[in-house]
Amino acid sequence: MSKTEAQWNAAPKFPASHYVDSRLYTDPQIFAEEKEKLFKPAWIIACHESELPAAYDYRLFTHPAGVPLIIIRGEDEKVRAFYNICPHRGNTLLYDPSGNAKRVTCIFHQWSFDARGNCVQITREQEGYQQRFCKDDVGLREVKCEVAYGGFVWVNVLDDCVPLRDFIGGALDILEPFMQQPMEVFHFHKAHIHTNFKLWHDTNSEFYHDYMHYFNRITGMLQPGYFERKYTPFPNGHASVGSMQIQYDKYEGSKERAVGWPGLARGGWYMVDLFPGMTYNLRTSVIRIDTSIPLGPNDVLIEFRGLGLKTDSAEERAQRIFDHNMIWGPFGRNLHEDLLGVTGQGRALRQGTGSRWILHGREENNTIHDEVGMRHYYAEWSRRMGRPAYDPYREGKAEPVRAAA
Amino acid sequence: MNTEQRQAIAELIYRSCLALDAGDYKTFLALCTPDFRYTVSTYSPEIKREMVWLDHDRKGMETLFTGLPRHNSDHSPLSRHATVYTVEPDGTQAKVVSALQVFRTQLDGGNTELFAVGRFHDTVALDGGAPKLARRLVRLDTRQLGYGYHVPF
Repeated sequence: MSKTEAQWNAAPKFPASHYVDSRLYTDPQIFAEEKEKLFKPAWIIACHESELPAAYDYRLFTHPAGVPLIIIRGEDEKVRAFYNICPHRGNTLLYDPSGNAKRVTCIFHQWSFDARGNCVQITREQEGYQQRFCKDDVGLREVKCEVAYGGFVWVNVLDDCVPLRDFIGGALDILEPFMQQPMEVFHFHKAHIHTNFKLWHDTNSEFYHDYMHYFNRITGMLQPGYFERKYTPFPNGHASVGSMQIQYDKYEGSKERAVGWPGLARGGWYMVDLFPGMTYNLRTSVIRIDTSIPLGPNDVLIEFRGLGLKTDSAEERAQRIFDHNMIWGPFGRNLHEDLLGVTGQGRALRQGTGSRWILHGREENNTIHDEVGMRHYYAEWSRRMGRPAYDPYREGKAEPVRAAA
Repeated sequence: MNTEQRQAIAELIYRSCLALDAGDYKTFLALCTPDFRYTVSTYSPEIKREMVWLDHDRKGMETLFTGLPRHNSDHSPLSRHATVYTVEPDGTQAKVVSALQVFRTQLDGGNTELFAVGRFHDTVALDGGAPKLARRLVRLDTRQLGYGYHVPF
């Protein structure tokens, strides 16, 4: 039965934990708070160690909270992270997205810094500053940086952040056995999508939308074991999805994957969604990593990485790349569908469209079509934001009101 | 290579664009040799690596095309604009480099946007009859393709 405006706007007949207010995806004030309260305290994947194989190799990364970062490997092999901002006149220090810089030299006035963040040159230092100011008085702003969980470079922009291990809270334990060998990035691309970052994470957090993917229906949903895959919630809003044996040969043009992953059962597929916007996705022969960088309430830049093993032969690597591209490349069968889906959500949820509620009401004993992954995420969202996701403008909104499902 | 041969090669490149623009995959494949291979590649300055984004033989391309109706795809049509830059004879083949611009036009309202730029690096078979595409490497400069696309360039 169709609904009147009042019926459409009435709260859904679910517990408050099973739906959210759609203004979560459009309100600029909420978006600004999210950058402060969700992204700043979070550990974020900036890149992979294989992108910095040699001393002085660097990568640039724009942190989701907005901070431009230089990730650089020192001569001592340690990877460090610094603001990509010159302490002199605030210029950008490095412009190219990657490179090798024994000295990080600002093009503006040629101040130089080493890979530990020390200032090693101020041009005409004595003439300009006499005894009043010297190199020791300046340095790059360093942020927390660790290489962990498969060789990924994690950064945190808060000096008083929780340790990375505490932030992950065991969510990646399920993948640890598969990340014992060195990995290597073979694919990287960015997608600028007109949608809210949470909607992309939602898509990674629920499998009910497999109805959108012919590839997943035919190789997964119609195969044994699919409906036994289970979600496991972890502290801090993270969640994992258990494996099954994907029947790749059921899709015309595909076949059982010739290259597997050490320790992973044939056709296996695990996922871990990390709050507030990252996903590990180990699908039989490839690991995909998504990192969301929110640009605005209805704009997100997603970094996609594909990884194989560093020890891959040329043939193995080519097969992993083929497997990756078939579903996850920019021309792949699934990624386009997923991104099209969240673009459609972004279009329908814009301010003024009349959208009102997003339902997370499916309960199937935490199995694959249960929407517990999203409920768990928004419970953490509510806690960190001090706003109930189902009623973010409520008086006294600081009260954490929802428990994890 | 005489002017007529060069013109026939250029026309092959342009006809391949017209066929793909029209979604006429049968005609496109008819322009290709039985051992045709199609690849999309690009270089990532971020990870400092060559990347292959699509790589199919003729059978793989056929399967990709026939599978399209089963998938949810963006239906905005593409316009492929190619300009043949160089044609270099090489025995029974010719190596052809063309500039490529791909535009996408929204179905609702008809807004057109530049979708991608790059080059075709084609190998054209000249051994008898009309020239045919034996190899197409789409070398992309553009690496941000938004929500992507299911149909090759």
